[in-house]
Amino acid sequence: MNSAAEARFRIQELCSYFPTVKVIALDTPSERVVRRVATGSWEHTTFLTAAAFSGELIDLAGRPRNLTDEVDEADLVVMVATPGGRAHAASIIGEACSRRRVMTTGVVLGGTSAPEAALSKTLLQLRPWSLMVVIADPEDYLDNMLVALRA
Amino acid sequence: MLKKEQNDLLTQTGPGTPMGQLFRSYWIPALLAEELPENDCPPVRVKLLSERMVAFRDTNGRYGLIDEFCAHRGVSLWFGRNEDCGLRCSYHGWKYDVTGQCVEVPSEPDGSPYAKTVQLKAYPLIELGGILWTHMGPPEQRPPQPEFEFATVPPEHSITTKRVQECNWLQALEGGIDSSHVSFLHRGDLNTDPLFKGARGNQYNLGDLRPVFEVVESPGGLYIGARRNAENGNYYWRITQWVMPNFTMIPPRGDHPIHGHFWVPIDEENCWTWSYEYHPTRSLSSDEVSAVRAGKGIHVKYEPGSYRPLANKDNDYLMDRAAQKAGRSFSGVEGFAMQDASVQESMGPIVDRTKERLVSTDNGIIMARIRLIIAVKALIDKGVAPPGIDPAHQRVRSASVILPPDQPFKIGASEALIARPAVAPASV
Repeated sequence: MNSAAEARFRIQELCSYFPTVKVIALDTPSERVVRRVATGSWEHTTFLTAAAFSGELIDLAGRPRNLTDEVDEADLVVMVATPGGRAHAASIIGEACSRRRVMTTGVVLGGTSAPEAALSKTLLQLRPWSLMVVIADPEDYLDNMLVALRA
Repeated sequence: MLKKEQNDLLTQTGPGTPMGQLFRSYWIPALLAEELPENDCPPVRVKLLSERMVAFRDTNGRYGLIDEFCAHRGVSLWFGRNEDCGLRCSYHGWKYDVTGQCVEVPSEPDGSPYAKTVQLKAYPLIELGGILWTHMGPPEQRPPQPEFEFATVPPEHSITTKRVQECNWLQALEGGIDSSHVSFLHRGDLNTDPLFKGARGNQYNLGDLRPVFEVVESPGGLYIGARRNAENGNYYWRITQWVMPNFTMIPPRGDHPIHGHFWVPIDEENCWTWSYEYHPTRSLSSDEVSAVRAGKGIHVKYEPGSYRPLANKDNDYLMDRAAQKAGRSFSGVEGFAMQDASVQESMGPIVDRTKERLVSTDNGIIMARIRLIIAVKALIDKGVAPPGIDPAHQRVRSASVILPPDQPFKIGASEALIARPAVAPASV
């Protein structure tokens, strides 16, 4: 039996799972991107900002959101930063994720062509708390990544 | 997850398809030079990008890659006679030169111009690094010759093998980009395989089975970094190169040769997996060459007289459940190459990516797909040459290095990631 014929008999069932994702902007430039991405159609994804972090996250309508509560219901937390930005919330968010064994991804937008010092500064803040780091130039990488993850 | 139309876009490479047009922008490996070992040797069937061709080497040593079928009645020219500077159809004697030009139609009168009106589709074949490369795109868009380092070092520094893989090219490529499978699928082989064992870097690998991955765009594709803790707060990085569309280079270990792959579509359900092994600054030892010939490392043993692996889907890849149970092999399949091929072929001829459930560590695969889609659209819509054609994109190396914790590996290892003649690879 050739490979195509064999594959015809696979069980055909649509995946109905959508992970609960929290996308958190860590600085002002990344918040601008996150606000744009949030206008898309997403299943179980919440968009938040920690650009002016002082212990609580803020949703895009300006309401405070409890970090622990948000992490508790997450399958994945995506922290979005830009090179040289103020990503100081990464350690607090990352620690909360680590305590609850929640997967973290750090996305550095515009990092490919950034000056070394700026990128180093951001990586130093993100790396200890990100189980996956992506350094991407296209601003729509975040959109594409979330689609690929069924967010 | 991909939408169906995206999956179709990336996996279909036949004539007239967008991805087929992208592949036809590059020089791609077509045959091993050893398959046409001498002038007037037997022709070889070649199927690439869903086109059936025949390759031959004429009386003067010129290589030809032409439509497999005679223009007269559609007979396969593989049955033909390779003689007197041409390939002659065994049915009625029509004869073609290496450019596909018919040079003789015996049934026509002497001096008849008829043969000149018959031209088979033909592509160039150039020899480089023991490989015959072809460019299947328009001649006016032919790119510069390939400059991948494994193909440009002295012949005694490099060896290349190939094997048939019975699945679409993309899922094979994605295995090469997916560094997170190594700690599972290949566990057990790092310390025993002659082309891997003994490197200090192996201790970092085995001491930390959960590396952190970092994906960064490169000019020609991607750098995929796998990070593990090293001494004094530093990180041990293994940096894989992906050069678009289908080339990968695995990070080196110790003074072992560097290795990697090309995945070349045969058709939509099969591809060639090319596997190279080279060292930039020294000849390969006889032990290393013997190991490659014995199917060690990323190479395979073959079914006699073919490039089909001896372990294949028809014999369940010679699965050894006892070795699996005893922990001698995580997968039960012998060797890195067939460990990869067995799982990738089991996904089906073209995996249905609308159903997959990717996770965050799959970001290398996600980014590669995005880069491919962007490149295909730019090529089709605007005629923009895709990344990976520029020889500078091909003069790259993978690397294994130790760097400070805040340093972007693209910068900290910038020199190590470029192929420099007579400079040893950065390897731990």
